[in-house]
Amino acid sequence: MSSDVVVDIQGLTKRFGARTVFEDISLQVRRSEVVAVIGPSGAGKSTFIRCINYLHPFDAGRIRVLGHELVGGGAPPSKATLRQVRMQVGMAFQTFNLFPHLTALGNVMLGPMETKRVPARDARDKAMALLSSVGLADRAEAYPRRLSGGEQQRVAICRALAMDPEVMLFDEPTSMLDPEMVGEVLATIRGLASQGMTLILVTHEMQFAKEVADTVVVMADGRVVEQGPARDVLEHPTSERSRTFLTRVLKPLEAPGVSGEASPPGGSGRGATTALGGDVR
Amino acid sequence: MRRLAARRAVRTKRGVMSTLQLWGQYLPQFLAGLVVSLQLTGAALVLALALGTLLVLARTGRIRVLAAIATGYVEVFRAVPVLVLLFTAYYSLAQMGLRLPGFWAGVVALGAFYGALYGEDMRSGLQSVDPGQREAAVALGLSNGTVMRRVVLPQAFLAFLPPGTNELSNLIKDTSLVLTIGVTDLMFQANAAAAATFQPMDMFLLAGLVYFAFYILLSRILARWELNVQRRRS
Ligand SMILES: Nc1ncnc2c1ncn2[C@@H]1O[C@H](COP(=O)(O)OP(=O)(O)OP(=O)(O)O)[C@@H](O)[C@H]1O
Ligand SMILES: [Mg+2]
Repeated sequence: MSSDVVVDIQGLTKRFGARTVFEDISLQVRRSEVVAVIGPSGAGKSTFIRCINYLHPFDAGRIRVLGHELVGGGAPPSKATLRQVRMQVGMAFQTFNLFPHLTALGNVMLGPMETKRVPARDARDKAMALLSSVGLADRAEAYPRRLSGGEQQRVAICRALAMDPEVMLFDEPTSMLDPEMVGEVLATIRGLASQGMTLILVTHEMQFAKEVADTVVVMADGRVVEQGPARDVLEHPTSERSRTFLTRVLKPLEAPGVSGEASPPGGSGRGATTALGGDVR
Repeated sequence: MRRLAARRAVRTKRGVMSTLQLWGQYLPQFLAGLVVSLQLTGAALVLALALGTLLVLARTGRIRVLAAIATGYVEVFRAVPVLVLLFTAYYSLAQMGLRLPGFWAGVVALGAFYGALYGEDMRSGLQSVDPGQREAAVALGLSNGTVMRRVVLPQAFLAFLPPGTNELSNLIKDTSLVLTIGVTDLMFQANAAAAATFQPMDMFLLAGLVYFAFYILLSRILARWELNVQRRRS
């Protein structure tokens, strides 16, 4: 194992009760690597990414994040370990989950002030700088409910970045957004990637994955069916399972009969649906 | 006909005069009664909030037995009429050797009843907070205590306020029950004045007006407070 591996996942297994969501997943993520996790709905992508910061306990395997180890089964990790891992792993959620009782600025300031005892003034300066960097300086005093979805997600990304994480996790960060707001959030994530941030993101935006990701992991049927360099996996999938998935996702018009299981394709979720509707009519 | 109407008007006028006179005469007693009612409300509120907090801690805590006891308590106490609790606190406890003064029996009974309601209100306030909020806070690396203090409780409080203030308005009105165990609250004074003057109509009307005035005043204040808290967060 090379020393620039930031996240090292070995034999990860997760069950909900008797139901196994996935089994024996291994993945190494190097510093500045961008990993896109794709796969059909219900494949366990969200569950997988949420194990990395231990929002879900897991049943077997282990995850090493910058020297801190989370071990599955048995006793849960110590509070100190969890804290260390979570402070170094930022996360943005599908539903943003901004704190509604705090302003955009308050949301971004909370983490450093409460976990690192950063003085309010410094936290404010940093939060303002982050909000400015995503074009939201003028929305700093706004409460979440006054922000558009795209703005909320950008604030949520700033909130995570304020902790100076080594890795950022994204779980379908644009799937709840209207199409016209997807671009602004993807631009923010692209910016992070170009600054060398390590990213693990679950996405249905295939075009974006192809463009930004170094590695693509295809999950289906409770396991990783294919994993490798983004272009190879997306353009020349070798596994039968990922081939069927990608066919459905990338070309929904060619396989309307079976598109039920597939999720909307990248960048054109609405467009494809309309096109399909048009076809039927 | 016209004469009859005129005579009735005179009598009504005299009636109004004498009512106002009586009210003026008994107002000091009524106000003294109001003070007792307010003290009772305040003490019962403190007890109810403390008990409600304990109940919600027990119900959401890890110790099964405590959770079951707390759940049972809430189910039972909110189902029993306040008057039954009041007589229990005053007469039954005395029989068992615990003689509480009427005022404190009132505090215990009202506190026990409203504690059950508050426990339930607090619990639903906590439950109304989206689990995603906790997750987002935990993902930042915040400790459990901080998650509670900075993220969950501020939101739960907002959800708790409307039922909580509603409960308080009901508590004020329910304090009038302590008349039955001889506490000299507002209702007691009204009753005493009614007996002394043989004018129950006038006296209970005054009592009603005093409760009403206080109710309106308090609900206005609480409503404004609620609005302020909400406005500060939007
Ligand atoms: N808390 C839970 N308890 C029980 N089962 C769950 C829980 N969370 C998820 N599951 C199940 O685990 C499986 C994987 O869910 P997950 O949300 O990880 O899928 P996903 O790949 O993210 O799907 P999507 O693309 O729809 O977001 C699903 O069958 C889901 O029903
Ligand atoms: Mg998901």
